[in-house]
Amino acid sequence: MRVSPDLDFIKYMKNAGGDTLKKCYQCATCSVVCPLSDDKKPFPRKEMIWAQWGLKDKLVADADVLLCHQCGDCTAYCPRGAKPGDVLGAIRAYMYTHYGFPSGLAKMVSDPKMLPMTVGLPAIIVLVMWFISGGMHLPSSDQLVDQGFSQFFGHWDWPWLAKNVFFIDLIMLPAVGLALFSVFRGVSTLWKEMEKQYNVSAEFRPSTKQFVVDFLVPSIKEIIDHKRFRECTENADRVRGHKPLMLAFIGLLFVTAYSAISQDVVGLFVEGMHGPMSLLNPVKILANVSAIALIVGIGILWGNRAAAEEKSGVKGSYYDWFLIYEIMAVGVTGLGAELCRLIGVPPLAYFMYYLHLVSVLMLFLYMPYTKFAHLVYRTFAYAFERYRNSAFVTQKQEG
Amino acid sequence: MTDQSSGSVLVVGGGISGLTAALEAAEVGKDVFLVEKNPYMGGRVAQLNQYFPKLCPPTCGLEIQFKRIRANRNIRMYNMTTVKSVSGSAGNYEVTCVTAPRYVNNNCTCCGDCVDACADERDNDFNFGMNKSKAIYRPHDMAFPAKYVLDKDACSAETLEAIKGACKYDAIDTDMTEEEFTLNVDSVVWATGWTPYDAEKLENLKVNSSKAIITNMQMERLASPNGPTTGKILRPGDDKEPESFGFVQCAGSRDENHLEYCSYICCMATMKQITYIRERYPEAPIYVFYIDLRTPGKYEKFREKIMADENVHFIKGKVADIVAEEDGGVTMIAENAVTGDKVSQKVDLCVLATGMEPAAKAQAAELGLDVDSSGFIVSNPDAGMISCGCAKKAADVVTCAQSSTAAAMKAIQAGR
Repeated sequence: MRVSPDLDFIKYMKNAGGDTLKKCYQCATCSVVCPLSDDKKPFPRKEMIWAQWGLKDKLVADADVLLCHQCGDCTAYCPRGAKPGDVLGAIRAYMYTHYGFPSGLAKMVSDPKMLPMTVGLPAIIVLVMWFISGGMHLPSSDQLVDQGFSQFFGHWDWPWLAKNVFFIDLIMLPAVGLALFSVFRGVSTLWKEMEKQYNVSAEFRPSTKQFVVDFLVPSIKEIIDHKRFRECTENADRVRGHKPLMLAFIGLLFVTAYSAISQDVVGLFVEGMHGPMSLLNPVKILANVSAIALIVGIGILWGNRAAAEEKSGVKGSYYDWFLIYEIMAVGVTGLGAELCRLIGVPPLAYFMYYLHLVSVLMLFLYMPYTKFAHLVYRTFAYAFERYRNSAFVTQKQEG
Repeated sequence: MTDQSSGSVLVVGGGISGLTAALEAAEVGKDVFLVEKNPYMGGRVAQLNQYFPKLCPPTCGLEIQFKRIRANRNIRMYNMTTVKSVSGSAGNYEVTCVTAPRYVNNNCTCCGDCVDACADERDNDFNFGMNKSKAIYRPHDMAFPAKYVLDKDACSAETLEAIKGACKYDAIDTDMTEEEFTLNVDSVVWATGWTPYDAEKLENLKVNSSKAIITNMQMERLASPNGPTTGKILRPGDDKEPESFGFVQCAGSRDENHLEYCSYICCMATMKQITYIRERYPEAPIYVFYIDLRTPGKYEKFREKIMADENVHFIKGKVADIVAEEDGGVTMIAENAVTGDKVSQKVDLCVLATGMEPAAKAQAAELGLDVDSSGFIVSNPDAGMISCGCAKKAADVVTCAQSSTAAAMKAIQAGR
């Protein structure tokens, strides 16, 4: 076997929290204690040596890297303190940057030194939009209570689309579009690489419908159920944080979709769809419950990570903490803006709302490059695992 | 020589290292006190079936040392004795020792009449609890000094009376008490040796889940003619003749969570034990799971010989899980790091190659000795505190003998 190490990759691994990697002496305890690893070609021992050797190409095409949930059982039993769980986390971070498009944006987001730019870019975008909209004036207390943030970007009399909605769409839709394109492109490349690495080929490919029904939907069900998370013993507590967080995101996705449809579509035909919902509106109740679940969930994960780092004495990685801070910011500013609106403090409410827009924009725009990307990449790794073991692939190989 | 100097040496520990150090110092004319916590001399070596690589029994070697001790008037031996405190400095140490009651005096001739009269039993710690002995016992067949010991707590009042009545020599003294005494010495040689690492701490290997999981020291006792099975290798519990064997190397060693160092002897001990198995079961398959095989220097030849056996399989990958099976065997689970496949190997008897933990780990720090991060005693010849054998580092018998001779050399110079 010819080994062509990628030195930059090794350097990256050192800096990204995988610096314990060199301690690994390949005893393979990790592959046995891992509750998620399968019996044929278990992980993470093989990933450890690929990473030591700088075999980047093998790692970015490795589904197992994504199937690892970093429960830390391997790290707890590792006789050398090589922390395989953290190493695989660092490889995942590398993967998202590797598959990220455009790569300049992906590199910026994953580089701690670029943090001012990473935060500054969306902050400036929203601010500039605010200036362009000409809406930049503070409402009175009464106006705030009455209109909420529906005139943050000002008001025009054109009935078909509210100015506020127009500007929010102008900011968010391109960001979401870019993110979706980026992950689509990334997942497609990843899939091809995985097919090559696992020597997977099929005479008959599943149709899109078959793929969704047979592979994607069961994977998503498994994920929502947190089946694999619950198999971890060392960090079993994370389910308590991750589950409410995930359900909160699903809830908020529904609320966002609902208000987008009600304001951007129905609102075009029916008057009065804009403005704050009543607190008793079921959708609003769902929104508030989700917001609280989001803050509680991320708070638990925050606490767990901090405690784990204190216990093991390692400094946390930028990759992990960036997402925790980002989600916490979304939750706190969102709920904060709502509270300020309800008690009628215009300057603070508007400032909170601005921060909320910035943090939400960050979440959407940077989704493919941050840890948040796992929601897409890991889901497809689940689906790939199902596909790889399905009749599409196995029967052909036997015949 | 300082004015107070007694010119004598204390050797703590009467295993192969302590015996060697004591003899070397005594044979150049020093007064030597040799204290040993067990009722017998010989330590871990006495528990072995054979030494590697020559495969001779431990009596070869120990007997010579015992003979030298008997012939030497400079050595005073104390069994069942431990060190309580140490004070002073090089050339002038005052050491307080405590001797536990043996309840048997020097009249004992080892006639064995008391054993016949004794109704109560105790777990035989010399055989790692794999069988029982009577409550009055000779620690093992070759025990030196040849004297019985009474485990008074294991006896009923009736038994005590019966034992006393059975002894023709008036050797039983149930009124003995703990004795404390003080020694003045120039230097102290610490030859406190090692204990097998506690396999219960290896949670994932679940040693208590099956009788088919034993340690390598238990294997020595099983193979030993004076062991619980008189040398037959049978599975504890059901006495089945095992049809297959597994070895778990680095069970606790080279592991930050347990012993961070390599215990040095376990690879060779396993290979040696493979020869025990081969003598008794010529065809039985044997599986050895390892990280690296460490058989340095002259031991390479031994390894080559063992690896030439077609029924001995070496698998690179540490056993990280053991599952008890209904038929009394166990399944050992590892990843073969060469092929990348997960291996589940069912065996009838599984041996954990547990490593060496310094026996005086906790006590050495209490006594104010210089210990390293693993609990081994660091030698300080200038201060007259010298460590040797496995108290100093994990080592084989040859290395222990060498380091003990070196320690004796330092010890006799300490008072000057």
